[in-house]
Amino acid sequence: MTKLASICLIAGLLGSVAQSQQPEGDSGALLQQAISLHQSGDFEGAIRGYRAFLNGHPESVQARSNLGAALAHVGRYQEAIAEYNLALERSPDNPALLLNLGLAYYKMGHHAEAAVRFERAAALSPQFKEQVTLLLAVCYNSLGRYKEAVALLEPLETAKAGDPGFDYLYGTALIGDNQEARGAAVIDRIVSRGDSAEARLLRGTLELSAHDRDKALADLQKAIELNPRLPGAHARLGELLLTLGETERARGAFSDELALEPDEFTSNLNLGVLAKEEQDYASARHYLERALKVRPNDPGVRYQLANVDLATGNLEQARQALETLVGESPDFAEGHATLATVYYRLRRAADGDRERALSQKLMDRRDAAQTGAKTR
Amino acid sequence: MKRWWGMAVATAVGGVLFVAASGAQPEPRRPHFTDIAPKSDFSYRTDNNFTGRKYFPQTMCGGVAAFDFDNDGRMDLFFTNGAKLPELAKTDPRFYHCLLRNRGDGTFEDVTAHAGLLGKDLGFSFGVAAGDYDNDGYQDLFICNAGRNSLYHNNGNGTFTDVTEGSGLTKPKDVLSVAAAWFDYDNDGKLDLIVSNYTVWTPQIDKVCAINGQEYYCHPKIYPGVAHRLYQNLGNGRFADVTDSSGFGTEMGKGMGIAIADYNGDGYMDVFVANDTVRNFLFLNQKNGTFKEAGYEWGVAYDESGNAHSSMGADARDYDNDGLPDLFYNNLKGQIWGLFHNVDGKYMNYVSGLSHVSRLSSHSSGWSNGFIDYNNDGWKDLYSSNGDIDDMGQISRQPDTMFENVDGKEFRDVSTQLGADFSHAGFQRGSAFVDLNNDGFMDLVVTSLFEKPRILINSADDGNHWLLVNTIGRRSNRDGVGAVLKLTTAAGRTLYNHVTTSDGFMSSSDKRVHFGLGAEKAIQTLEIRWPSGTVQTVKKPKADQILTVTEPER
Repeated sequence: MTKLASICLIAGLLGSVAQSQQPEGDSGALLQQAISLHQSGDFEGAIRGYRAFLNGHPESVQARSNLGAALAHVGRYQEAIAEYNLALERSPDNPALLLNLGLAYYKMGHHAEAAVRFERAAALSPQFKEQVTLLLAVCYNSLGRYKEAVALLEPLETAKAGDPGFDYLYGTALIGDNQEARGAAVIDRIVSRGDSAEARLLRGTLELSAHDRDKALADLQKAIELNPRLPGAHARLGELLLTLGETERARGAFSDELALEPDEFTSNLNLGVLAKEEQDYASARHYLERALKVRPNDPGVRYQLANVDLATGNLEQARQALETLVGESPDFAEGHATLATVYYRLRRAADGDRERALSQKLMDRRDAAQTGAKTR
Repeated sequence: MKRWWGMAVATAVGGVLFVAASGAQPEPRRPHFTDIAPKSDFSYRTDNNFTGRKYFPQTMCGGVAAFDFDNDGRMDLFFTNGAKLPELAKTDPRFYHCLLRNRGDGTFEDVTAHAGLLGKDLGFSFGVAAGDYDNDGYQDLFICNAGRNSLYHNNGNGTFTDVTEGSGLTKPKDVLSVAAAWFDYDNDGKLDLIVSNYTVWTPQIDKVCAINGQEYYCHPKIYPGVAHRLYQNLGNGRFADVTDSSGFGTEMGKGMGIAIADYNGDGYMDVFVANDTVRNFLFLNQKNGTFKEAGYEWGVAYDESGNAHSSMGADARDYDNDGLPDLFYNNLKGQIWGLFHNVDGKYMNYVSGLSHVSRLSSHSSGWSNGFIDYNNDGWKDLYSSNGDIDDMGQISRQPDTMFENVDGKEFRDVSTQLGADFSHAGFQRGSAFVDLNNDGFMDLVVTSLFEKPRILINSADDGNHWLLVNTIGRRSNRDGVGAVLKLTTAAGRTLYNHVTTSDGFMSSSDKRVHFGLGAEKAIQTLEIRWPSGTVQTVKKPKADQILTVTEPER
């Protein structure tokens, strides 16, 4: 569903760029020929043509942008990104370029980078706003920025409620933002159209967050049965299985998710943590670094990587990472606790004592604030 | 055509045989366990008085102690029990404790009433610790309770006297004590006592937790942590509460199992306390009557991600025979049992992953636990009594687990190969390691909620050899608790162990020190470092015997 949307958008943008103004003379003919090849679907020919033209006109934003589009079309996203970035050096506020660059990142699963470009494109050109809204919402959901996704989608609800793609996206955002009641209403809307994998996934996610594990298990398994390729379904099942102590099955579910979506955040994070627990630190680092690529600066992933550093004796790296983390989040009790251990290992007892006292104070405060009960 | 078919089969079979012969090691012969409890006439069942309402302490019931109360050379058994709730009183015989005298013929005699150990006047009981606190040669009992704790003096004539009053073994009001351990922290020759406390609780302040109308046992986080208490033995049946002056009083925990060992090899006993949902404590003895909590420095406070788990039982022994006590604690399903390797007596390395313990343990909720060389191969294995905290799912009843030690490096799960009685699924809680029939193979005694305990006798049939050492201190405490033993076999293999009765959760084990020798029949030396500092060497003791070693006077 989201893939379909992005493909349409690329095609649309490509058309608008390709029909832009062209230089005159031989070089103009060269460019025109590349565009013709591009429009006829000969992307490799177009790429060669654009490159030939750019040899003589390296300043051409239009040709470079088209080259990026052609490269993106054949899946050469890294090269496309390089071309878009070169074009943006000459035309930094070009919303179409930003949008295409965002799409290239999006296609690579680099949602953080994509979101930045989409946001900027929408700000520069209100006409793109509608086009990027759903893509941006996908990015926000993927980045765990559910509140922002809700804010983006909420104004569209009246117009788009009932659209399966929209409902799924909106429901995901609402549930992620802990707005269970509103999320449940969206699920009801989806269910009213008949049983679907998407509805089961959303409902299972909701039940998972409510610790209703038996129902969550039934719904998530049904979601996978209905659509084994539904993004996120295996990851949610993995999370549920972890809470049930079914580590091996959880590992399998996360691996299944990554076979579909290699950059899915939760699966990479959890497989990283599981590998760390197995003391398979090379694998742990591999998965955690992949998770960090999806959500750069995610404090949870950075913390896990710092723990890998600690476990593998990279004490200085662990110290630096943890000091940064607790600097950013002074109330991060576990961060202070681990930093205390790192300081003690570095024979910095006074610093260790300080961090230990801090972590204890934070944990005591957290325990004191515990008002309700949770299941174990 | 028929002939060709026959040849194809022959080739296939040959291939299979070839793979089997060259690729797979034959499984070693393993002892198994048989429950002999049904042969004995006793009415004890672990009874937490669950009647629908879920009181917080009900999950913890069924402490067990293995000790020779009548000094007849055969280890006897004692079980603690719950109480009527919310009365918090043993209003009915079904809540009484149970003392079983070992008849030596595979049966046990219930002598609780004669011994004066019914515990009629106690509240809900949890752990028990056996130790000869007055050095009279008879092991005494300390029982942890909701309500007052109790010290029973062994009179040496088959009876016990509650001597708590006036002993100084008091505690703050309504503190719930779960486990205790005897050890001599100041090496003055008298056993001191550490009590692991959980929270402040009475039936009146018990909280109700429910989801979709179904009640469940509340998360421990809604109850406050409290200090564990250290009592110094002053002699003459008197104890001083030194919790605050020793440094124990500043650390608030939710105490479960206690593992006593000299972790840093300085000749003084240290204390590890497993805490439920808060960080674990390692109290290092500063040799001046005080302790320093060093869980962070030693890396045992949290797991590798800085998370506290529901730590339950704990034991400290040397699983890789390098001369330093390592640490093992278990916890609930979905968490990871902690196996820590002692590095030069300076800190612990978390090795649950490398040793496969994390993978093996993730599906079990463990309570009591410990290192036990069940097959006498000289490598200590990992035992855990298991069962979920609550009866709310299909896999709440769980079988115990035995993870067999492979050359001190990793563990494999052999639980299903140890017999049907071992694999009994239940809500297992307490456990004691003990050689009940003096055959040199360790037996197991395990309590389960709502059930008769299992008395699991080791089949002792793998042909391996052994030595059991009964230490008698003279300058040191009479039990010899804290003595460190190093055994060197004729072939030069070195094995280590130490004297303690404290392991697992709510439980107290055979104080005799067990060594499995594998196929070796001869021992070069047995070296004992007593808590007094005396080092004693026994040359060429015979294998396959119970050896009593008395500490020299000077």
